[in-house]
Amino acid sequence: MVLVIHTEKLTKDYGTNRALSEVELEVREGEVFGYLGPNGAGKSTTIRILLDFIRPTSGSANVFGLDSRADSEEIRRRTAYLPGDVVMYDRMTGAEVLTYFANLSGGVDQRYVAQLAERLRCDLTQPIKSLSRGNRQKIGLVQAFMHRSELIIMDEPSSGLDPLMQQEFYSLVEEVKSEGRTVFISSHIMPEVERVCDRVGIIRQGKLVTVEDIEVLKGRALHRLEFHFSEPVPREGFVDLPGVRDVTVEDTVVSCTVMGKPDALIKAAARFEVVKLVAHESSLEDVFLSYYGDGETDA
Amino acid sequence: MLSNVFLKTLRDQRRSMVWWTTGLVAITMLTVLFYPSIKDSPELDDLLGDEDSIMRAFVGDVPDLTSPEGFLNSQLYFLLAPILLLVFAISAGSGAVAGEEEKGSLDLLFSHPVRRASVVLHKLAAMIVAILGLSFVLWLTVVVGALIVDMDIGMVRVAEATLSAALLASLFGALALALGCATGKRGMTIGVSGAVTVLTYFINALRPVADAIDPARFVSPFYYYIDADPISNGLDPVHALAMMAATVLLALAAVVTFERRDIAV
Repeated sequence: MVLVIHTEKLTKDYGTNRALSEVELEVREGEVFGYLGPNGAGKSTTIRILLDFIRPTSGSANVFGLDSRADSEEIRRRTAYLPGDVVMYDRMTGAEVLTYFANLSGGVDQRYVAQLAERLRCDLTQPIKSLSRGNRQKIGLVQAFMHRSELIIMDEPSSGLDPLMQQEFYSLVEEVKSEGRTVFISSHIMPEVERVCDRVGIIRQGKLVTVEDIEVLKGRALHRLEFHFSEPVPREGFVDLPGVRDVTVEDTVVSCTVMGKPDALIKAAARFEVVKLVAHESSLEDVFLSYYGDGETDA
Repeated sequence: MLSNVFLKTLRDQRRSMVWWTTGLVAITMLTVLFYPSIKDSPELDDLLGDEDSIMRAFVGDVPDLTSPEGFLNSQLYFLLAPILLLVFAISAGSGAVAGEEEKGSLDLLFSHPVRRASVVLHKLAAMIVAILGLSFVLWLTVVVGALIVDMDIGMVRVAEATLSAALLASLFGALALALGCATGKRGMTIGVSGAVTVLTYFINALRPVADAIDPARFVSPFYYYIDADPISNGLDPVHALAMMAATVLLALAAVVTFERRDIAV
């Protein structure tokens, strides 16, 4: 098993503030790795160290077995990057920006660029400053994919994309994976990584809390569900169901948290007339803090 | 024009270069066309006053105001031309790295296989080429203006004085580049570079008036720019080299400080 990214005790301080604390990260060749954590957890800090924009206070980071500081140019030759905040040159058009970045990395296949732009429905003729955030993001994505790099690092890649373009993004990631290339995606929301990632690392307050296969995490995912019935229902029918907790019954409304399969709960609810079902997307905090506990009291 | 950082930086400057060229031609031409009304008024030379008149802080330590050399030195080369070129240079130098960093596009740029040193040097080169371009415009305008008003001045001497101004501007542009590379803060860079400009200008300009500051002249780039009077005597090779050496040192400082620090988000 070849490691594409490998950090050892990676630590970054900003003054007295520890942004990253002894992070040990291993990303395998050919996998899609999700780097999940709330905003400010240290995701971007990690990525920016890998690309040598910033330097670690201590510890080390290796990409392709190369040192992030000494061999940065070689690492960046083989890596593509999508920043969390895609800022390009306002006065240049999308096509000009892509041409510039293609030239800086020694040229790319123009037909592939055209193909990507079409799939993501990019308008490459407009100056960057006239584009919406979503359209800028799409040009950023074309840029990240066009180099056909061995490793693609993306910081919050699907932010600002409409659902249709998100699907297109997922299939692009699948294609990269099928070619044996590696993708590293950072995100603060579960659905963004759930669809495409093989493994997920959870980072919180600068510490890598855990790394798990996505299937394991999905099994632990929490969903907050709310059933509205046509008439009041008895509480007894909903407590003590497997995987169900935090049950509250108020007149005709039952709300609860489900972990893993919702089968038993759905069957219990099906005995009554359901007029409305509300499912809250499991937030990162819900999913992980409940499972891994809250190590820090101040959160 | 998009094949490397140098060409792309030049390309970025094309719009502002149009305005700079227009302004520079207009101001320079107006100044030169004023010559006929000065040259026949030798009484203007009395304005210079004696050797320690404060006038000399703004027109230079010239022997007269009415000869072609005295006129061009006092009206154009002592203050106006270098200040125009310096404003351009400081703006370009501070924008090169600190400006792009503050806008936030450095991350994307450096995710490509480009070295920090090479980006700094490409941007420095683009800035110097732009300064030389503007200097050429300045020279051409003076030469054409001199022909129009029948001013007796050699175009080579004008070129030498203009080149001296280009070297001065490059030095200050490199200073702004270095400050921007070291701090990443464009506003602060412009402020400090401007303050250094004013301070070192007056160190050189007030020298004939105030003996006390005379020993400090060696720290003023303006001394190396104009003291040898290049429009009368040609470019002083030692002074030219001094400005170039300072530019090289500042470029080196820009590279070293930028290599060592974190890029701001």
